[in-house]
Amino acid sequence: MSVPTEYLLGLAAILFGIGIAGFLTRRNLIVVLMSIELMLNAANLSLVAGARMHSTQRLLDGAGPDLQGPVLAIFVIAVAAVEAAVGLALIIALYRRKQTVSLESVSELRD
Amino acid sequence: MTTQEIAGLIDQTYSPQTWAGLAPLLTLAGGILLLLFVELFERLHPLRAPLFLASLIGTFLAHKYAGAVGPILGGSYIVDGATVAWGQLFLASTMLAWFFARQYYRTSLAFLGEHDILLLTAPLGMTVMAGAGDLVTFFVGLELLSIPLYCLAAFRRRRNDSVEAGLKYFILGAFGVALLLYGAALTYVGTGHLDLAGIAAGLEGPGRPLAFAGLALIAGSLFFKLSIFPFHLWVPDVYQGSPTPITVLMATGTKAAALAFLMRFAAVLPGSSANLIALLAVLTMAAGNLGALVQKDLKRMLAYSGIAHAGTVLLAVAGTVAAPALAGDAIQAVLFYMAAYIFTAGGAFGILAWLEADGDLFTRIDSLRGLARRRPWLAATLSLFLLSLGGIPATGGFLGKWLVFSVSTRADLITMTILGVLLSVVALGYYLRVIVAMYMEPEPAELAPPMTERAWATFGTSLCAWMVLILGVLPGWFLGRVF
Repeated sequence: MSVPTEYLLGLAAILFGIGIAGFLTRRNLIVVLMSIELMLNAANLSLVAGARMHSTQRLLDGAGPDLQGPVLAIFVIAVAAVEAAVGLALIIALYRRKQTVSLESVSELRD
Repeated sequence: MTTQEIAGLIDQTYSPQTWAGLAPLLTLAGGILLLLFVELFERLHPLRAPLFLASLIGTFLAHKYAGAVGPILGGSYIVDGATVAWGQLFLASTMLAWFFARQYYRTSLAFLGEHDILLLTAPLGMTVMAGAGDLVTFFVGLELLSIPLYCLAAFRRRRNDSVEAGLKYFILGAFGVALLLYGAALTYVGTGHLDLAGIAAGLEGPGRPLAFAGLALIAGSLFFKLSIFPFHLWVPDVYQGSPTPITVLMATGTKAAALAFLMRFAAVLPGSSANLIALLAVLTMAAGNLGALVQKDLKRMLAYSGIAHAGTVLLAVAGTVAAPALAGDAIQAVLFYMAAYIFTAGGAFGILAWLEADGDLFTRIDSLRGLARRRPWLAATLSLFLLSLGGIPATGGFLGKWLVFSVSTRADLITMTILGVLLSVVALGYYLRVIVAMYMEPEPAELAPPMTERAWATFGTSLCAWMVLILGVLPGWFLGRVF
């Protein structure tokens, strides 16, 4: 008895939607970063759910499990950590200059 | 699978062919590691520049002599003629950025060694992107390129504009990557494949709608990197705020890398999307040109002009999506266009880096007035680059445009091509304005023109000028070497 794939994909879509909404509406850079992480994890959840779905079919056919999805998910986890490190470094650089982490403070360059 | 079968598979995976295909990447990676080692000891620091150039030249030779060995590593990395040609263009773009960076930063600035190491990581990522046969490889390449660039954009971290450029580039870049990954996940759920060949085959299956949604998201994230309308708004800010040598790399190399993968990805896109892509191309050209018309700062104007150029070259992508039979011509057109663009825009931004090192004011069009009298060669070279950007015959830019428009015409995208040609004419308006200012207007009384000589930048701009002329007059030389 396992959770149907559709439910997992639906949950991932909801996570992705929350991520996009947060990215578009929030003004705190840390929260924006968290929203992006949420979107990445939505992708990961879809990837492993898809891998399970495809593996079931492949195992019935006598082939090995499908590993493409999980491999990408592992890469995503690793790279997300790197991205977070660089992103936080940039936010610290901004904080040192302006004593704030608000997106509104990043608006000097314009036409 | 028996042990012998597995051993056979391993032999096949790590064949001499594989090593030949990976040779350029390994050379670059080796260079990066050596530079990191050199950074540890102050006494070795004079080796930085020779090592950097040696890595670039070594990688160039590896591309040239290893050649196109075909798909390797189970098809996840494809070394065909296009990958080799792109790889060499990326090296050229990195080399230009490095030349212009030589006398750009104050020598007292910390982490100048790290600057070069990050700069050398970029072409590694770009080449991986250009050769990617599946979305996993592409993702790794994209991040290998983007993450160093986020740092480099914010490299002058004591300046507000640099930090702001880095942050904007990071936030929007990370958003683009999230779109790409969710798109890849949906495509995978729909088709069961992450490799481009498998996706193309799987599109006929029951997961078709989901896969199409995924492909649209992936295309969106590529358009983001390529600065296509409506994802182009970040470009002027990021280009203006970043250190100009880094802008050189972002404007030329990054764009070329996204385009290189887009050309592969175009084979998966359904033919019915060609009209939409062509429409986006024309809208991008319009947005870029109209934005450039009102700019007072040359750096920002060139950023908008870069958006317009991305639109132009997207017409060739639309052409190959509409008529897959034209794929060969399209990749040739795109390669030529980007080769010309790398040297043209690279040179133009390079001159800006040169001027800007004397003071931020010098990138304003107003302060270029009368430059021809004091610095005739500088003004002449900048004029050459601007004319090539505008697509005047006998420059590389003209032939690039001609090849792109010929692909889109043969693909029956006539209306969009005509609109594109008309918009290119509009573009001449703002390029000529700068030339008129340099040659026909009196010098500003309150501002002495920059007279500092910069050997590396002079060398870089002359190289660009020669390449623009060679590509314009002897295009067969380039095309013959590439294909």
